[in-house]
Amino acid sequence: MIKNIFTIGICLLAAQPALQAQSSQDTPEQKAQIELGRRLFYDADLSINGTMSCATCHEQRKAFADGNQAHPGALDDPGKRNVPGLANIGAFKNLTWAHNRLSGLAEQSLMPMRGTEPVEMGMNGHEAEIGKRLGQNECYQKLFLRAFPNKKGSIDINTVSRALESFQKTFVSNQSLYDQMTEKGKPLPTQKAQRGKKLFFGAAKCNTCHRAPLFSDDDFHQVQPKNPKNEDRMRDNGLSDVTGNPKDKNLFRTPSLRNAALTAPYWHDGSAKTLADAIRKHDVNVHQTLNHQEIDELIAFIDALSDTTFVNNPKYAKPAKECPY
Amino acid sequence: MKNGLFILLLATSLFANEAVLPSELSAWKSLSYVGTAKNAQELTDATLTLNSASLVGLLPTPKIQYVARPTNEGGTVSYGGIFRITIKEKGLYRVVLANASWIEMVKDGKSAQSVAHAQGAKNSGIRKMVDYNLDEGTYTLQLSAGADTTSAVLVTKLP
Repeated sequence: MIKNIFTIGICLLAAQPALQAQSSQDTPEQKAQIELGRRLFYDADLSINGTMSCATCHEQRKAFADGNQAHPGALDDPGKRNVPGLANIGAFKNLTWAHNRLSGLAEQSLMPMRGTEPVEMGMNGHEAEIGKRLGQNECYQKLFLRAFPNKKGSIDINTVSRALESFQKTFVSNQSLYDQMTEKGKPLPTQKAQRGKKLFFGAAKCNTCHRAPLFSDDDFHQVQPKNPKNEDRMRDNGLSDVTGNPKDKNLFRTPSLRNAALTAPYWHDGSAKTLADAIRKHDVNVHQTLNHQEIDELIAFIDALSDTTFVNNPKYAKPAKECPY
Repeated sequence: MKNGLFILLLATSLFANEAVLPSELSAWKSLSYVGTAKNAQELTDATLTLNSASLVGLLPTPKIQYVARPTNEGGTVSYGGIFRITIKEKGLYRVVLANASWIEMVKDGKSAQSVAHAQGAKNSGIRKMVDYNLDEGTYTLQLSAGADTTSAVLVTKLP
């Protein structure tokens, strides 16, 4: 027991820097990129018909998920996967539900913008349109110049994606009740949440994959029995769709459980409407069966991972319409 | 005349293989044309009637001055519009739309929080439905970030 507590403590200490906010030591250029990225994140001109911004699917009040099973694209193509939350997204090596070959958030942001499987924002083949639209806006001209002086303020899909990366790297969620109590060395306020925490890190072994402090091991697993119903949704083979390796079939990245209480529905296809459904979906042949009370206790603990400062942080909200410069 | 023909064509295409709709959406199949306001001053000419479906023309986003800044404003190439509707009694209401525009019900400068959203049945011509608990009073229905220049819209009280 003592050994376990010690191990958990070491893990927490070792991994805590992953959840640190960007410091005031950012260069003026970096700060300008964050400011620009924030404006772009909320700008629907990044989609083919002006109907979708990043924030259309990634709503701050829902911890940057959106509450739908999957979100249709700008041209109404059906969504392939559930919109994941973006808490601490800058700390992840692997991005999206099932991709291990992206160099970072800049490259990732190109997937919704010009991806074709499925079409989300629909800009594939229309990338030049982004520069044309944004370039007509005097405010963007100033913001791009401040953010990318070495590129003479070039407005193109590459500078757009770099600015989006800079902004998303500031998404730090580390002020949940769990974080506050851990920092003070105090137990969670309810017995139910305390029992849930014990289960989470103990018998239920949730922490094996949903590893603190990110509450994800940033790795790929198959946790559902094979042959899930696909209904009308498009075929989804998980990681093997990227790697082409049959061994990677049905592998999906462990989602973070931070703010999970705010990001229903769950699962890569959004097929679990509630946290209880999601817990029950874990393959009982591999994982142990939990009774109703234990599931309730785990949910009470997961509730304690909700961070209201994150979903209300004005730094992440839609910026004022007026140009700051 | 032109509007009448357009409504007929739209209704024909929307309801070609018509779906069976629940009674609260029965008004969806009968459209009348309503103008679109681009600012608060024009709202008197853009009044929707509760439980009556309307065909509305939408305007390029840069031309519209919304009464409250929409959560999803739409880009410069999108379409939207604003409309007035009077709610006579407090209750649960549904806004039904033929396209995927962002919907907001605004009163006294504040947007009502939606309580449910869904898509329409196949072949119903309904693209989205959003429910709100509304108080008595005059609301501004804001449509933003739309892809189309027209849409059918219905505001109806749910049982």
